[in-house]
Amino acid sequence: MLDEQKLGVLRKGFLEFLVLRIISGASVYAADILKTLAMTEFATQEGTLYPLLSRLRREGLLDYEWQESASGPPRKYYRLTAAGAARLAEFSAYWARINQTIQSLGG
Amino acid sequence: MRAVIAVSLNGRAYQLEDDAHAALAQYLATAERALEGNPDRAEILADLEQAIADKCERCLGTHKTVLTQAEIEQVIGEMGPVEGGGGPQTARAGAAAAHEQTAGAGFAAGAAPAAPKRLYQISEGALLSGVCKGIAVYFDMDVTVVRLLFILAAILTGGAAILAYIVMMFVVPYAQTPEEVAAAGGVPFNARVLVEQWKRKAAQFADAAAHAARIDGSTAERARWRAEWRRARWQWKQEWRRSRAEWRARRWGPYRFSAWGANPMPPAPPLPPLAAFLSGLGWAVLGILVALVTLAWLFALLSVLATGAVFGWSIGHLPLWAAVIVLIVLYQLVVSPLRALRYAHSPYFYAYRYRAHALADAIIGLVLLALLLWVLGFHMPALQHLFDWLRTQIAPLWRGGGRAAPSPAH
Repeated sequence: MLDEQKLGVLRKGFLEFLVLRIISGASVYAADILKTLAMTEFATQEGTLYPLLSRLRREGLLDYEWQESASGPPRKYYRLTAAGAARLAEFSAYWARINQTIQSLGG
Repeated sequence: MRAVIAVSLNGRAYQLEDDAHAALAQYLATAERALEGNPDRAEILADLEQAIADKCERCLGTHKTVLTQAEIEQVIGEMGPVEGGGGPQTARAGAAAAHEQTAGAGFAAGAAPAAPKRLYQISEGALLSGVCKGIAVYFDMDVTVVRLLFILAAILTGGAAILAYIVMMFVVPYAQTPEEVAAAGGVPFNARVLVEQWKRKAAQFADAAAHAARIDGSTAERARWRAEWRRARWQWKQEWRRSRAEWRARRWGPYRFSAWGANPMPPAPPLPPLAAFLSGLGWAVLGILVALVTLAWLFALLSVLATGAVFGWSIGHLPLWAAVIVLIVLYQLVVSPLRALRYAHSPYFYAYRYRAHALADAIIGLVLLALLLWVLGFHMPALQHLFDWLRTQIAPLWRGGGRAAPSPAH
């Protein structure tokens, strides 16, 4: 049986990549990110996502904009900055390489 | 029947059963601790509160207005534990690196050192002793600004700030090792966090204003900017309120006696209506009393500054600055028990739960004040005269039952 803890560490490393990927499509609201992730094995909670978003924003990879919402107070919509898009491209290239390595080494 | 506590989550009011409130308070306190040192702590907490509010909304309807513990536990379970989110930067930042960032890039660097923050004197780049420099590093402000503020304070307080400087010169330790220099700009405390946030937001808006000026043709853009400005102002207000509430909880709550963030005390049951009314009345009356005392004190201060005498009462050989200090101390002595009494009455603030503490404060304060007046009465004939005069004024009213008092022999 797979060790859940080890897999957790793996997933955690990927989370940043996935969040950047989700945001790269269109500007999204934090709850949308959670909803998208919830359907995958990367299901994440607010307690993890919000600090992550705040750190990515601080690193200049993403930015947000307030938009009025029909229900409740205005919401933050996130989108990638140029630096964020560059980081995502790097990540994607790296992932492709890793994937290839795994495939080529497999028995 | 259950007690219900009203809370505000990022600006919206919710009603929680008491144990639900305890669970939520604990979750938020834990989140706050986990985000210790994160420069975006206030913002993340506001976002978390917003998310909690959204989830709570789901459980409420026209016929259900109160959240139970089970529902709050469910919401907290969905939120998940809050992670520090400092990222690799936090792990890397040593004390020296932290100092570099604080001094150089300021807030943008974002890494939070783990060392506790302390106030030091810093002799490097000091004009006199380094007190101002230390304060500047502590609040991450420009030294010149601190010096100007100090001079302004010295003028306004008639020299008391100079006295404070001299005291600090002897009391505040010098930062000698690099660790101590780093600690001088280390982990933020409440006021510093506020100053940082204001500075950051001011910079943000200077940017936005410059942007708006460049594209002043587009009304949509300007409307957007104005909306953002309004939103930010609202956020400022929230943060200010939050920090004030926190301060109040610390000042009037039990936290002075136990570690901050320890398990909150169970809330008191709601008061019966008459007691609630009296408590509210006491709150209002004491508030007016404090305001009156403050007004009188301000007049006394003005009169001492303008004429060198308090309402015609000569201050004798006392230097002006000493008289001002005496006035300030007197004011504190009179007002602090009144304030404590007021908070003991408070039907809705944090003190509500810790009434006994505030009441004890009030009694101790009043006893101290009475003691002081009594002792002064022996040494100051003027005060003795005043007491006598007051007695002759009041005594006939007592006995005469409202008949006009005969004027005292004076």
